[in-house]
Amino acid sequence: MATHNVESEVTGSVWKVQVEVGDSVSEGDVILILESMKMEIPVESPADGTVAELRVQPEEAVQEDQVVAVIES
Amino acid sequence: MSWAKEVEELKRRRELAKQQGGPEGIAKQHGYGRMTIRERINTLLDEGSFQEQGKATAVPDYDDDDNFLGFVPANYVLGFGRIDDRRVVVGGEDFTLKGGSPNAAGLRKSIYAEHLAIQYKIPLVRMLEGGGGSVKSSGKRGGSSGGDSVFSEPRFKVIADAMGQVPVVSMAGGAVAGFPAGRMAASHFSVMSADTAQILVAGPKVVERALGVDMTKDELGGAHIHAKSGVVDNVAANETEALMQCRRFLSYLPSSVYQRTPRYPCDDSSERMEKDLLDVIPRDSRSVFNMRTVIEMVVDLDSFFEMGKDFGRSQIVGLARIDGQPVGILANNNRVYAGAMTAEAAQKYRRFVELCDTFHIPVVNFIDQPGFMIGPEAEKKGTIRYGMAAVAAAAQATIPWCAIQVHKGFGVATAAHYAPNAYVLAWPSVESGALPLEGGVAVAFHREIEAAEDPVAKRTEIEERLRAARSPFPRAESFGVHELIDPRESRPTLCQWIDWIQPQLDELKGSVKFSMRP
Repeated sequence: MATHNVESEVTGSVWKVQVEVGDSVSEGDVILILESMKMEIPVESPADGTVAELRVQPEEAVQEDQVVAVIES
Repeated sequence: MSWAKEVEELKRRRELAKQQGGPEGIAKQHGYGRMTIRERINTLLDEGSFQEQGKATAVPDYDDDDNFLGFVPANYVLGFGRIDDRRVVVGGEDFTLKGGSPNAAGLRKSIYAEHLAIQYKIPLVRMLEGGGGSVKSSGKRGGSSGGDSVFSEPRFKVIADAMGQVPVVSMAGGAVAGFPAGRMAASHFSVMSADTAQILVAGPKVVERALGVDMTKDELGGAHIHAKSGVVDNVAANETEALMQCRRFLSYLPSSVYQRTPRYPCDDSSERMEKDLLDVIPRDSRSVFNMRTVIEMVVDLDSFFEMGKDFGRSQIVGLARIDGQPVGILANNNRVYAGAMTAEAAQKYRRFVELCDTFHIPVVNFIDQPGFMIGPEAEKKGTIRYGMAAVAAAAQATIPWCAIQVHKGFGVATAAHYAPNAYVLAWPSVESGALPLEGGVAVAFHREIEAAEDPVAKRTEIEERLRAARSPFPRAESFGVHELIDPRESRPTLCQWIDWIQPQLDELKGSVKFSMRP
């Protein structure tokens, strides 16, 4: 089994979380949406698999390169 | 008496040079999963086109009791060759000999590579591997006797000069440290192979000794570090792909600043209008879109070659063709900080504009610029200084430049997107001004907002009112842009412009005042 870290490309805050732990996702599916520089920035799954961990909640601040979720495949 | 004896010896030495570090040295190199320098050269060049220079260059080798053992080939292989039938200079360290660390003959050849490219006015491709100088050589026979004379030309001058005259490309196939790492950075395009290369100012042992930090060479300078540090432009999966990227980069460039960019026949119709361009920009300015798709819909099919994707990610730069003419592409990536100009994005921008200016490559700029990056991190990084360097590079560029106002254009950073005499197009989705509406309203109407019963509602109301009044037409009416166009007309309009600028491109040949520096 491989694990894939889902990293945020930007600093911002979590606006909406689109998945739950255990959901199966495809590469490119939106895991969560951040708000940064007044835009809604989707954070997408890097691989097909299952959501193993969600490390952030709505309104939480996120830093550039922070791991926000983990996908197992 | 003929010269048969010497000719026989010459033949032997040429054979010797080809044997590199011998079967053992070659097997060791292959054991690490890496190509030898001769394999790299053959993979890079058009088949059978390599013409080696200094074939018999070697140094005599002695054992500890001063007994002559034979000659060791120079550990740098150099020569001419062809890429897509255009001549280039190629060179690289032979890592099968002494770990690529230069012997005297090898060092001479490596320095001469730059001279050769400048003299013959052709691109230089370096295939780098090795660690530069060693303290061992300074205490040995034929070693340093105190260095170069004080009046000799600085060794690095030719490296800087080359960047103003011929395309310089570097590929890292293995660990590259010290002087070779400097060469890697001093390039118009650099690429490292993810599975075999590292780039390091100094390797693990030196770092451990100086800083007490215990790290592997991959942790220090692997591909995952330098894709983001901006030290290399691109990362390739392996050595072959890295060499193919070198070929591809050169296909967009002239052989030197004295030549024109090569223009190829183009199968892609200049009248092609992608219907998806009509709704690619969301009406809601909070929503993102994919700028890379926009670029691909407009330029010649499959011609976009992106550089430095993971460094300064809010700015996209790369080479492409429009109607067969190589162009430099600049575009904001709204998915990262709304496309704002960060300190890194600004450095990437400046270097790319200088690259295009040096080689007279016309620029097409897709503008969606919300401004310089703001906030505490951006201030600490000195964003405004790097940003102004980008603005200055564009302001002094001498190349034909087409600016397409795709979406946003706010603040001083927007000035970086226009060179003098730019051809300016705008899509109906354009919004511009000193400040974006949202932040701008909060500042300009702060008294009115604070006095309101519900300040947030008041702010939103003002924003909505101003947004409704926004229209792209006044800028066309006042000749503030050359043309307001249907986004689908972008390709035909650009193809027409490419035709208009041909006489200018003929005239621009030669060296520029400000060429690219590392």
